[in-house]
Amino acid sequence: MGDIQNIFVLIKQVPDQSSKAGINPDGTIDRARAKRMLNPFDRYALQAALHTKKTYGGKVTAISMGPPAAVEILLEALEHSVDKCYLLSDKRLAASDTLATAYALHKVIKYAGDFDLIFCGLQTTDGDTAQVGPQIAERLNLPQVSYCEDFKIEETKVIAKRVVEGGYEWVKMQIPGLITVANSYHPLEYKTLRGARMVQHLLRNEEEKTNYIKIITLDDIKADPVKCGLKGSPTIVARTDKVSEIGGSCIVYQGLPAEQMVSNLVKNTNLPEFIKS
Amino acid sequence: MNAEIKNEVKQLPEIITPSNKEVIVVGEQENGEIKPVTIELLGAGRDLANKLNGVLSCTLFGNKLGDLPKKLISYGADIVYIADDPVLENYQTLTYRRVLIDLLSSFELPPHIVLLGSTTTGRDLAPRIAAHFETGLTADCTELDIGPYEHTNKTDPEKIGLYPGCLYAIRPSFGESLKARILGPWKNPQMATVRPGIMLPLQIDNNHKGEIRELSVNLKPEDYRSELIEVIHAINKSVNLTEADVIVSGGFGLGKADGFELIKELANCFENSMVGASRKVVDIGWIPYQHQVGQTGKTVRPKVYIACGISGAIQHRVGMNKSGLIIAINKDPDAPIFKFAHFGLVGDLYQIIPELIKQFKSNNLHIIKKEGEKLIA
Ligand SMILES: Cc1cc2nc3c(=O)[nH]c(=O)nc-3n(C[C@H](O)[C@H](O)[C@H](O)COP(=O)(O)OP(=O)(O)OC[C@H]3O[C@@H](n4cnc5c(N)ncnc54)[C@H](O)[C@@H]3O)c2cc1C
Ligand SMILES: Nc1ncnc2c1ncn2[C@@H]1O[C@H](COP(=O)(O)O)[C@@H](O)[C@H]1O
Repeated sequence: MGDIQNIFVLIKQVPDQSSKAGINPDGTIDRARAKRMLNPFDRYALQAALHTKKTYGGKVTAISMGPPAAVEILLEALEHSVDKCYLLSDKRLAASDTLATAYALHKVIKYAGDFDLIFCGLQTTDGDTAQVGPQIAERLNLPQVSYCEDFKIEETKVIAKRVVEGGYEWVKMQIPGLITVANSYHPLEYKTLRGARMVQHLLRNEEEKTNYIKIITLDDIKADPVKCGLKGSPTIVARTDKVSEIGGSCIVYQGLPAEQMVSNLVKNTNLPEFIKS
Repeated sequence: MNAEIKNEVKQLPEIITPSNKEVIVVGEQENGEIKPVTIELLGAGRDLANKLNGVLSCTLFGNKLGDLPKKLISYGADIVYIADDPVLENYQTLTYRRVLIDLLSSFELPPHIVLLGSTTTGRDLAPRIAAHFETGLTADCTELDIGPYEHTNKTDPEKIGLYPGCLYAIRPSFGESLKARILGPWKNPQMATVRPGIMLPLQIDNNHKGEIRELSVNLKPEDYRSELIEVIHAINKSVNLTEADVIVSGGFGLGKADGFELIKELANCFENSMVGASRKVVDIGWIPYQHQVGQTGKTVRPKVYIACGISGAIQHRVGMNKSGLIIAINKDPDAPIFKFAHFGLVGDLYQIIPELIKQFKSNNLHIIKKEGEKLIA
């Protein structure tokens, strides 16, 4: 056991793009109709946070920003035995880009109190920028390790293995700091029995639920609304175009004997022509 | 454009966000060589600077930079800002951040555009810089341009206007099925990270004139809160994946290192072919790093790419999705690779590949490479 007291993990609810529901014909997402899930990359961050607690001690706090429905992923985190959750939910956060998101989340972190380590996912499947983590680190004036694939803690330092072009590097970072966890880190372990039971209990006791999942607004965290949402976002998506050649156009052969699938492929592709062209 | 819209455009007030019109490329070097992405960014940056009537500059940090800054001038930079100091020997977030923030703060008017590569360095550093200056940053762009933008959105009335000379940062979104044009005209610098292997570098021109300016390095104690202990690199340039016409790649689905024998045999059905691999199999030592395709490996554009037992993770995809024809073999019909391959074979690769070899051979698929035809890396 080490001297770790508080571990924060940032998780986001994202549309499930593998299900067809809520995906508009033009490829954009209808968030109201789409199925929702925990951002797959954040599962690794959650695992890193839980591993830290198990190995070095401390309590895990999960933090999310999103609509009220995002409580679902915080319940999921509780099933994995995190200790406490915060959900920042406020209409004024709509249309936040990464800068505005990181601003709001850094305010939640300050509100939630002292921490030793903050874990983020590598990126989200909807925002897909890998920017929010380092932007929070900047706001909180923290050192960071991004693309972290493994780590250990020695006294007040994290020794982290970071994925880079052509290999790895080992970096020693002082605590407190922020880590974005690569998808080559260990997969999230099963839910715990204790966690699952607790969530069952909380689902029947609305009042008690609020002890574990605290829902907060911009006023609670004293965030400047001008720095949030559309107003606080220096970027906008001015236009989207469908990329026609990608997505769903794959001709798939399946369910036939290998010989037949291959001969169909060879007939249809005309490889020699393709290579000569 | 019809007359009505034109009138409306005229009514919008023109808003010019202050800038010095400079386009700054944040350069990267490693072991005495400029990274290809930096040269590509200079190509893209030159075009943007010309459209803005501005200058193109490049930063380069490191230890013993030698004649690298001169090279950057030959590749199109008008100004090269260098920080040459033993403490900058290796990239560390906080030290590089400090020097770059000091530079960007030193201008009377902010630079117009700052570009970084979408490398593990660029994507580590760029968000910190953007957050520091509270400016916009678009990740992982595949196209850049300059153009006007009319903001008419009434929810934010004070921003309504016509903004000339905006950076159009264009990037794939929603799992690459859409292309989004992202703008941030109300604040400079406008920032973007750009995917390696896409922008076209300029021809090297040793007559291009430029200026080298040395930056002073003023680190603070807090900038030493992280340090590099060890780099484990496996660079070996002998395998030139980027020039192959056909690449046959193997992934974790091979199940064992020996599986690459089968991959080699399939590759041997073609002239000018090479064996590629996913990072996962490189990491577990089934094949050397030189064969790795993807974000942290090679970006390849062969005429034909055959992916065997590769799931198609985004980091693999960005290294090969510009290939002419992509054929995927995977036993999982829901594998992401089938979302962007052109042809897919669902099944056990140990049944399918031998069949491919047999039929390719009997069809006499030996392909002669045309002379002088090389695709750009
Ligand atoms: C910062 C960073 C950089 C990265 N850079 C790269 C990079 O440059 N290149 C890269 O490739 N990855 C990179 N990765 C890793 C990437 O995220 C994936 O983990 C990796 O590409 C997965 O490799 P894979 O497809 O071989 O393995 P898996 O994802 O395990 O996929 C194996 C596939 O094989 C299929 N399969 C299994 N058995 C069979 C069979 N008998 N027949 C047919 N199919 C079978 C399975 O259905 C599965 O789809 C990077 C990750 C990070 C975090
Ligand atoms: N709304 C959010 N709530 C909580 N965490 C978030 C949110 N958005 C981003 N993050 C964190 O930042 C990481 C990177 O996100 P992104 O920059 O959107 O790719 C995610 O994996 C999360 O850990």
